[in-house]
Parts: sequence; structure tokens; C-alpha cells
Amino acid sequence: METGNRVLLLTLALALLPGCATVRGWFHHGKQSQSADTTQAGTPSGTAGPEEETPPRVIEPQVERRQVKVPRIKSSNVELGAYYGALSIEDFGTNPDYGFTAAYHITEDFFFQGEAGRSRGGRTSFETLSGNLQLLTEAERRFTYYDLSLGYNFLPGEAFLGRGVAMTSAFYLLGGFGATDFAGDTKFTVNFGGGYRVVPADWLALHVTVQDHVFQTSLLGVTKLTNNLEARMGATVFF
Amino acid sequence: MARSTTTTRSTPKRHPIEPGTELTRRAHGPARAALLALAALLAVLPPAVSAAREYLQLFVAEPYLELHTGPGRGYPVFHAVPRDESVDVLFRRTDWFKVRTERGVEGWASQADMLKTVLADGSPFKFELGDQAGFSSHRFELGAFAGEYGGANLISAYWSVSLNPQMAVEAAAGQFLGRFSNGESGDLGFAHVISADSRWSPLLLIGVGIVHTEPKATLTTPENRTEQTAYVGGGIRYYLTRRFFMRAEYKAHYIFTKRNQNEEADEWKLGIAFFF
Repeated sequence: METGNRVLLLTLALALLPGCATVRGWFHHGKQSQSADTTQAGTPSGTAGPEEETPPRVIEPQVERRQVKVPRIKSSNVELGAYYGALSIEDFGTNPDYGFTAAYHITEDFFFQGEAGRSRGGRTSFETLSGNLQLLTEAERRFTYYDLSLGYNFLPGEAFLGRGVAMTSAFYLLGGFGATDFAGDTKFTVNFGGGYRVVPADWLALHVTVQDHVFQTSLLGVTKLTNNLEARMGATVFF
Repeated sequence: MARSTTTTRSTPKRHPIEPGTELTRRAHGPARAALLALAALLAVLPPAVSAAREYLQLFVAEPYLELHTGPGRGYPVFHAVPRDESVDVLFRRTDWFKVRTERGVEGWASQADMLKTVLADGSPFKFELGDQAGFSSHRFELGAFAGEYGGANLISAYWSVSLNPQMAVEAAAGQFLGRFSNGESGDLGFAHVISADSRWSPLLLIGVGIVHTEPKATLTTPENRTEQTAYVGGGIRYYLTRRFFMRAEYKAHYIFTKRNQNEEADEWKLGIAFFF
């Protein structure tokens, strides 16, 4: 443990000392205002230097310098929403599924998406045939999952509603990983799929998504990879 | 009516174009009303673009500025704004700007085209580009990792706020899933970037955290426990393209237990992150 403490202290010193040495101003975003101050300070009272040698102007321009205020441009890259659909849980039937998504659009092609959802496992055919036997308790049948995915937009296009309305649209691919809590255990889960997004207004998007959630389980005696297919519709709002 | 920022070159607003030119209208009329109703049903928050804003006015300095129907290079060009006409910048999504012309036509202009526009005083329009220069000095990072924590599978995400190009405060949250126990961990600490300007850079990490462990029922000590941790570590980051970079890191965690001996846990992870 003593070596552990030593490593801790040494690394602390190593991390902080060069860090402080390279600090020019704790909040580097203030840099621009500093440079603006110095240029302002240099301009008044033209007493010295080459300014004295310039000949007097023949025509004094009567133009007032415009002051252009640059307002901050709002960014709208965050997409939050909810969905409802059906999830086919391997061996446990198809059941309603709902959840929330949050996405951040990084470039026109890629976005990060996090989602959390919930469904419920039904009865296996074994349970149905054997009458009253229950493999899982009611609480264990709850199927809760989350995942972090990277999305890729492709096939950009437009969807037309009658003559007057054109909405931009795109297909997207999703792939990521997360965890699934089902049957009293939490399993590392890989998810992949795709979807179609229609954007009727700048702030609103409608989605149809199909995904597979794959995880390993030995619930029914043999260890196997289970595929849990999900099809859903959702609405999201851009912020 | 929303207004441009005050400039002497500002042109009075004309009425929007006639309803005949359909391509320039996006989702108006009954469809919009229906969608608004849908949004109300979903109890969503107010729209991203509010009307009562002051917009930046830019002037086209090239022969024309192309407007696309959507924020992407694949969406078709449906309108061209001639030289010296102005556009109001409504908002930005990734590398695209939603603009409105003097005639009321709304469309999307690319970052590359917007760099060629000028402000009312003739100076070029400058903005943050999301390139390697931005990578060297950015404000926020967000990323996801997959890896290993004390022998268990780890899923982790982190959020970082830069104090300056070299120092950042980072918060990470993870879930580990193993054969003997599952659990969650949370870390808060400092990251020091050794060489912020280059594509490759080593990182030094130090901080404190908390870990919640749920041993699986088959073991002899099945009670759940929550313990404080401290970590030191190192890593490497590599700028990929645009706003993306890769990050690999190692953290040595010291877990302060209530038992006789403290524990140590190694965390290895590899992930993808972006800055903004």
C-alpha cells in the first residue's frame, strides 16, 4: 500500500506541475478579449513612429464606421425523444417496448445516441405447456436495457406530403453496446440496426427504427447468444 | 417579426414568396398544424428556434450562395442567393447553417460556403470549424468506452470540461458486468494533456471516485457494498477527423474498503469521443 501511496503522490505531482506551468490563463477562452484590449491600447495618441510621416489626407471620408454586433448563433444538435414499439425477447415472446433516446449530431453523417428502454418477458412455451410452472418471478420478467450507439446517416432524401409539403428524410445505421437487465442478471449487450427519420419541422423528427439486442445467457440451461429484435416508432425534438 | 442585427445595409423585409413556388416552402399549412398538435400530445418542450430572436445578417460575397433543402451534402440545391444580397442566420446544425433570405426563402448553407460570406462591415464571417485546430483547444468532450474493470466487462462514458488546452476536469460513469459481480462506478478528476497541439498526445489522469459492487448470489459474501476510490492513470488520445478522436486509457483504482485490507482494481478501456 505504501508503494501505492507513493505512486499516487508522484503522479499527482507529475500531473499538476507541468499542467500549471503551461497555464497561460486558466480559462483560455478569455484569450481573445485580452488581445482586443492590447490593440485598443495601441491606437490612440499618434505621437511617435511612422504615423507622423504620413501626409495629411486630402479628402476626409465622411463615412461613419459601422458597428457590427455578431450575435451568438444558436446550435441545434441535440435530439431528445421517446419511442414505443415491440420487442421480441428470445424464448419469452413479443411484448410492447418503450423508452427514451438522446442523441447528439456531431457531423452531417454521424451522431451519438444513448437510449434506455423497458419491456416485459412473457411465458416460454415450456411454461405454457407445463401448466403452473414459473421459470421467473414477475420482477425478473422485467426487461430493462440501455445502450450507447454511434449512428451513421445515409440515403438523404425528401418525403412529399401532397403538393405543398416537402420534408427532409434520411436512413441511418446504428451500432453500439450497453447492458440488459433481465431474469435477475445484467448482461453486456451489443445492439445494431437501422432506422428512417423524417424531419417535418426544424425542431421535430419522426423515427421508425429496427434494432437487434444481442447478449449471452445461460438461463435455459445452455449458454447461448440471444437475439432480441425490436421494431419501434418514435418522435424526437431538436434542441 | 424577428429582425436582423442593426446595420446600415439592411434591406427592408419583403413578403414571402407566392404560394406557387412549392419547393421553397417546407412543411407549412395543415401539415404543420397537425404536427404541432402531435407535439402538444407528446408534451414536448418549446421548439428549438423561437421567433423572438435577433439574427446575424451576412452578405453574399461570391457570385451566389447555394441553399440546400436539408443539412447535408446529399440534399439538393433548390435556391441560389445572388451576390450582395443578405441572409439571416437562424441557427446551426452540425456543419450547416439554416438561413433566411431577404425574400423569406429558408434553406441550408454549408460551412464551406458560409466562410465566403461577409458581415455588414465587409469583414469575413468567422466561426468555430470543428477541425484539428478546434481539437487542440476546445471546451467540451463527450465519449463512450468499452473495456475491462477488475476482470469484468466495462461500459463507460465520460464528459470533460477544459480549463485550458492542457487541463480538463472529467467525470466518468461506468457499469461493469462480470462473472462474480456486477456494479457501477463513478469518477471525478483531472486530466492533463501533455501535447495538446499534436494529433497524438499522452494524458495523465488523477481523481477520486465511488464504486458500487453487487456480488453474485453464489459467492459467500453476497451483500452489496459502496466504497470510495482514488485513481491515477494514463492514456493516449488520437485525433481522427472532423470532431472525432480516439482515446485509450488505463486507471489504477485504489478502493478504500471497510475490511482489513484496501483493494486495487485495474481499468483498461478504449473508446471514441468527440469535442464541441
